Amino acid sequence: MNKKLGFLGFGTLFGFTLSRVGASDFDLIMGMFVGRDYTLVGVIGLAIIVGAIGMQLLKRSQRPVKNGEPLKISEKKLGPWSLLGAGLFGIGWGLSGACPGTVLAQLGEGKIFGFFTFFGMIFGTYIYARLKEKHPSL
Amino acid sequence: MIAILYERIFVDPWPFWAGGIIIGLLVPLLYYFYNTALGVSTGYGNLVKIFLPARHLQWIKTKYSETWSWRVYFIGGIILGGFISSALSGNLGFTAEMGRFTALVGWGAFAGAVYFFTGGLLLGLGARIAGGCTSGHSIHGISNLHLSSILATIMFLIGGIISANLIRITLMGGAW
Repeated sequence: MNKKLGFLGFGTLFGFTLSRVGASDFDLIMGMFVGRDYTLVGVIGLAIIVGAIGMQLLKRSQRPVKNGEPLKISEKKLGPWSLLGAGLFGIGWGLSGACPGTVLAQLGEGKIFGFFTFFGMIFGTYIYARLKEKHPSL
Repeated sequence: MIAILYERIFVDPWPFWAGGIIIGLLVPLLYYFYNTALGVSTGYGNLVKIFLPARHLQWIKTKYSETWSWRVYFIGGIILGGFISSALSGNLGFTAEMGRFTALVGWGAFAGAVYFFTGGLLLGLGARIAGGCTSGHSIHGISNLHLSSILATIMFLIGGIISANLIRITLMGGAW
């Protein structure tokens, strides 16, 4: 299967699921952070458990993945500023009631304020690219 | 019978477990089919290259040599998925509504736009410095038991708890 078309398909499933389960709902994300609605704690928590079981099965099967390559799991390394960045991300998550995936589902749902979160994300990524020129350790 | 099924899948909000199972399955499925880690925020670098004059920046040059990579298609798919969800549930169209923000914070459209733009800016900048977002770190990373992702997720949650509570107390009058 063509990789780009495949990702279009998996992306559609992802966006549809985020929207159906309410992850693109401002109130559910706010509710999670202020301790009033634990729907998304359940979604994220169960996703981690299901993902972990699936990955264990995939690793133990010791078969190459579909295109014949050996399974190659990418681990994210922490740089000196990573945890500070994660804190900034968290503040943005709590303010906007969205994360990089769910804001995309909001666009599809036609939520106008979501477009501003989306443009802000592109601009924030652009600021990172500019900062990275002078500060390679970021 | 078919009407009830349609209602359950396309109209009613899903129970948390349905979302958790499907999203969790994406992690091993993307490895199985494409040997690729689930992740969304890295693709915003592609969007920077598409929408902003940034081709001269070294980071964009080296990391985003292919402008229209699979990441852009994944992003497009997520938008499409939200659109399909909205259309099939009978809520098609644009809305200025944003839950408790529009219900409780008495700000005009401009202030609201600045507010969400600021939140997005912190998400974009923070995700790149952290090296990932909710999908890449929290779901993909913790599924693979990576310590870096566990630590990043703890910081995501601390940041979110601080800002959401501040907003609730200051702008929403402490109500819920």
